[in-house]
Amino acid sequence: MFGGPPEPMADPVAPEVSASTWRRRFGVLTAAATLVLIFIGGLVTSTGSGLAVPDWPLSYGMLMPPMVGGIFYEHGHRMAAAGVGLLSLVLAFWTWRCESRAWVRRLAWLALGAVIVQGALGGLTVLFLLPTAISVAHACLAQTFLCLLILLAYATSREWQAGSRGIEDRAGVRPAAVLATAVVYAQLLIGALMRHLGAGLAIPDFPLAFGRLVPLTWSAGVAVHFAHRVGAVLVLIAIIRLAVRAGRSREPRLARFATALAAIALLQLGLGAATVLAQKAVLPTTAHVATGAAVLGGAWLLTLRAHRLLRTSPQPFPERQPLARTVAAA
Amino acid sequence: MSMRSASVLLPLGALVVVTACAGGQAPQQTAPPSTVAAAAAVAATSATGSIAGKIGYTGSVPAAEKVKLSADPKCLAMHKDGLEKQSILVKDGGLAHVLVYVKSGIAGGSYPAPAEPALLDQNGCNYTPHVLAVQVGQPIKIRNSDDTLHNIHPRPTQNAEFNIGQPRQGMESTKTFDKPELKIPVGCDVHPWMRAYVHVLSNPFFALTQDDGSFEIKGLPAGEYEVEALHEKLAPLTGKVTVKDGEAARLDLSLQG
Repeated sequence: MFGGPPEPMADPVAPEVSASTWRRRFGVLTAAATLVLIFIGGLVTSTGSGLAVPDWPLSYGMLMPPMVGGIFYEHGHRMAAAGVGLLSLVLAFWTWRCESRAWVRRLAWLALGAVIVQGALGGLTVLFLLPTAISVAHACLAQTFLCLLILLAYATSREWQAGSRGIEDRAGVRPAAVLATAVVYAQLLIGALMRHLGAGLAIPDFPLAFGRLVPLTWSAGVAVHFAHRVGAVLVLIAIIRLAVRAGRSREPRLARFATALAAIALLQLGLGAATVLAQKAVLPTTAHVATGAAVLGGAWLLTLRAHRLLRTSPQPFPERQPLARTVAAA
Repeated sequence: MSMRSASVLLPLGALVVVTACAGGQAPQQTAPPSTVAAAAAVAATSATGSIAGKIGYTGSVPAAEKVKLSADPKCLAMHKDGLEKQSILVKDGGLAHVLVYVKSGIAGGSYPAPAEPALLDQNGCNYTPHVLAVQVGQPIKIRNSDDTLHNIHPRPTQNAEFNIGQPRQGMESTKTFDKPELKIPVGCDVHPWMRAYVHVLSNPFFALTQDDGSFEIKGLPAGEYEVEALHEKLAPLTGKVTVKDGEAARLDLSLQG
């Protein structure tokens, strides 16, 4: 439909590095704006303002209603979403014009398509009075869209362009990163389900559940909430495992990034506890949503970087061998 | 038509349409809901028995909750001395906003819904009345008397949920509930403190208590009835009463706080 760029670049690496700098920055800006948008979207649900504007795409039949009460959050979310949509549109056209790699161009269009579908899901969830399935899909597509933008920005980065694949992944960072990303995504899905089922306080105490390790009585809400708590432990284990492996990878960039990711994951755990203990107060609850997106984005970016910076090792996990040799020598 | 002409005329056309819509929804005078319910009860039956009494309240009255109105300056301007939320309204020992209805003992049959609508008004960033009782199929006229916008969002479990906006003062919408359902919460998501309850009943044998807790259910045939008193916050209470033709049976109940 759109064809290729007008003039594909002759040199796939060197000229692209400088020419794509502003596009990369714009991609980073779009991803950062999306993270802010996720926070604002979280505010809509946290403040119970999801239906403060009953119509869509207009708001009370207007482009700009009075920003009072719950309208401030709901219409503010719509305005921010329109802004991110515009950024995505510009990014897609920019990429189409200037990018030589066909898959990156397709990725940019895919991101644009995703944000359009995301807007439509947002509208549908309002018109159909927040059905759980559509609201959860809206929440999950937001995270997926963020991941698409991160890939798009990273694909235009200097690190990607340099394409260093010199170091073998002997520590097994790549599979650990993939697993961590998958676990975080699953955890976000469960979190979205819990949130839109209104089960955020189905287990009212923390760290125990009704004073026990495992609840005695169960309902759908308790089950989803408990699954989210179990998921939090699994996420933490997966990310710490990833950080340990990244530390052994002899690639300091990955080690530093994974350490930062583990710190954010710990913060996220604290925010989850604060959400329960503060009875779903607006700020910790919304921060928990946005930080969850940041953890996913970080795990995803670490996965991409690990796959770019490390190459598959024919004999993974030999990192314990030096220690064994040392012991044997002693 | 040139593009330039179209760009000028289209917004004008939209303005005309919007103005026309606003004009078509001018406020109308409507009878108070309690009158409507009483009229419905009388019209539905020629029986002459009735139940009268008082719903009292036992317990301490909780402190009223102060409402934060700062989210909407227009609401704030309407309540310069502040606004308080209090669902336990007691006067002379009687409790207001209690639905008293015949729970069992009514002979089968259909009771046509009154054609006259009951009014739910948004006035002063609050609902008037706070509790509304209607028959299945009876129209409910929802009006925005405020110079600010509201959305009206009932959350029934048996009936269809809806969410409509009334951005301009004087706008009215009419809705009905087609299944019996008690205590349907109605809220405005713009102003989260706004809350009303709608009771939808299958017959006209109900009443809402006055400020002093008194009530009267008219037009009942002779018989033995189980009557329930239902308040939005308190546990319901039932009582039995025998009604004779042409006589008013007495029933006093006291809800526990």
